Amino acid sequence: MNLAQLGSRDFLKAVRPFVGLFMVLLLFAMDAELRSLFFKGGNFKTILTQTVIVAIGAMGMTLVIVSGGIDLSAGSLVALCSVVTAKLIEHGHGLAAVLALTVLVGGLAGLANGGIIAAFRMMPFIVTLGMMGIARGISKWLADNQTVNPEVPLESVNSLMDKSQSPLTFFPLPDGVWLALGLAVVMTVVLRSSVFGRYVFAIGSNEDTARLCGIRVNANKIAIYALAGAFFGLAGVMQFSRLTQGDPSVAIGLELQIIAAVVIGGASLSGGAGSIPGSVIGAFMMACLANGSSIKDWPNYMQEIIIGVVIILAVGMDKVEPMLQRFIRRGK
Amino acid sequence: MKSWLLGAACAALILVAGCGSDPDGSGGSAGDGLEIVVIPKGTTHEFWKSIHAGAKKAERELNAAGQPVKIIWKGPLKEDDRDEQIKVVENFIGREVDGMVLAPLDENALVRPVETAGKAKIPVVIIDSGLQSDKYASFVATDNYVGGRMGGEHLGELLGGKGNVLMLRYAVGSASTTKREEGFLDAIKEKYPDIKVLSSDQYAGATRDLAYTASQNLLSRYGNELNGVFCPNESVTVSMTKAIRDLGKAGGNVKIVGFDTSVQSLRDLEAGDVQGLVVQNPIRMGYLGVKTLASHISGAKVEKRIDTGVAMVTKENMSEPEIQELLNPPLEEYLGEGN
Repeated sequence: MNLAQLGSRDFLKAVRPFVGLFMVLLLFAMDAELRSLFFKGGNFKTILTQTVIVAIGAMGMTLVIVSGGIDLSAGSLVALCSVVTAKLIEHGHGLAAVLALTVLVGGLAGLANGGIIAAFRMMPFIVTLGMMGIARGISKWLADNQTVNPEVPLESVNSLMDKSQSPLTFFPLPDGVWLALGLAVVMTVVLRSSVFGRYVFAIGSNEDTARLCGIRVNANKIAIYALAGAFFGLAGVMQFSRLTQGDPSVAIGLELQIIAAVVIGGASLSGGAGSIPGSVIGAFMMACLANGSSIKDWPNYMQEIIIGVVIILAVGMDKVEPMLQRFIRRGK
Repeated sequence: MKSWLLGAACAALILVAGCGSDPDGSGGSAGDGLEIVVIPKGTTHEFWKSIHAGAKKAERELNAAGQPVKIIWKGPLKEDDRDEQIKVVENFIGREVDGMVLAPLDENALVRPVETAGKAKIPVVIIDSGLQSDKYASFVATDNYVGGRMGGEHLGELLGGKGNVLMLRYAVGSASTTKREEGFLDAIKEKYPDIKVLSSDQYAGATRDLAYTASQNLLSRYGNELNGVFCPNESVTVSMTKAIRDLGKAGGNVKIVGFDTSVQSLRDLEAGDVQGLVVQNPIRMGYLGVKTLASHISGAKVEKRIDTGVAMVTKENMSEPEIQELLNPPLEEYLGEGN
């Protein structure tokens, strides 16, 4: 089994998320009203800021999905970690401690996911479904069933996602956007070129073969879920920064948005395919669609339908392309 | 090549969907008039539909008065989701609308988005619930304290100024109902010194089920000496009425004054189990929200706090036209049949 070649699909597949994004932008550009409203520096800053949470979550989820798993606890972990952030600030911790401890809490929850999945050979779907309830419950318990508003706000955390100083210009971008971009570059390299990244693809392509090749599948799986949990923890800090409060009821259904972003980005739910840039572009594309249909004043139900259609289309291209190819050939 | 074909198909589909859903045919250019976005907490509850109707009413009046206004009605994609509401506010700052009318889902979480709008020179009028900031043009909402007082005075009158009453509070940390509770207690203390408040420190909790249990607990202790009850919101009113009915003291034996309406509480009012409901005026809230914003934008000075008023609904006055408009708001007139 050639580790270096795993996951490197043909060029067309790699650029598809970009083509999809381009199509969305083109579509918005064709509409006279949206052209003037949408293509503005300030609006793109808004969209980037709104992408950060889903994008950071999608980086962790890409690892999990490429390895052939799924993590349904992402949304609940984001909520839990937003409450943890609030509690840590209440206890007077600084930025570094808040970031480190919150990411650690996310990582520990992920470690529990991965540990149970590996030790008992249980379905990731079920284990993380359980964790989804557990994490949501703990966050409500921790927060005493209400939002947690630190008496003395910690400006450095609040400003991570703050773009209130110059709302109508593209620069300066909030720190959270830069952090997400930097992490995307690092994770792209990790998934493409590191030994660990290659193992992730190997496990997702064929777990048994990977085991026979001498890859320590269980240890790697635990690492994958723990790392994903750490990303959800970081997304939780970002969620806190957006609301400036810890909210145990936030991010309900966020895991599905994250999964959609990863899948639009070219990942396969059966494992072995996917990329970090694709997932991040997928997240950005969904935020663009939501922003565009919101400022265009399409009713909310139409917005939901459109995003649903786009998800199916994006994934369906995989299946439709060969059919179309055959159809065109027959036509000739 | 093939991706392009599919992309084009996708594009066509979205375009068709977008065009087909244009409600007023006003989707084209924004025109010269003011563009005002109204952002509720949700879009499906009747309360918010009444706010929408009120905003439409203001839009019609302003247009007729030669001040062209276009209202955009945009709730969060998920009901009661703070992050989604922040997104809506941000998106319309990006659109650079002329003004915003916002019912904040949270008094803290929406502070920064509203201040961001201020930095972008977009004035914001807050409706319905308060915000921990003063960076808004005006706050247009029910004065809950006055509503509570009205409830206290009505109950005092019903009891002839003497007897034993109790009040079951709604939930810890709920600002609007706390104001109502304060208003009620102050009214009883100042105007009816002979009325004794048996209990006013118990909380019902967020759901009807919890409120029902709390009501039963209170009644098992004070049920025999009780003459009147005040309930600060809809769920407590319905649950307390049910508990008193269980006790066999409904129908005027124990007087009940509640807050807000629902199908059930109106039924109880008609049956004579409830003697009064303090009712808010959401149509007026939407209407005054837009009107206040429009006059703020045109440079007039507006009040920082505007009360939209409450009314006491009783079995006797519930068929009067003004009260009927509150109980059955004329939504079709403003929103069309589609809503």
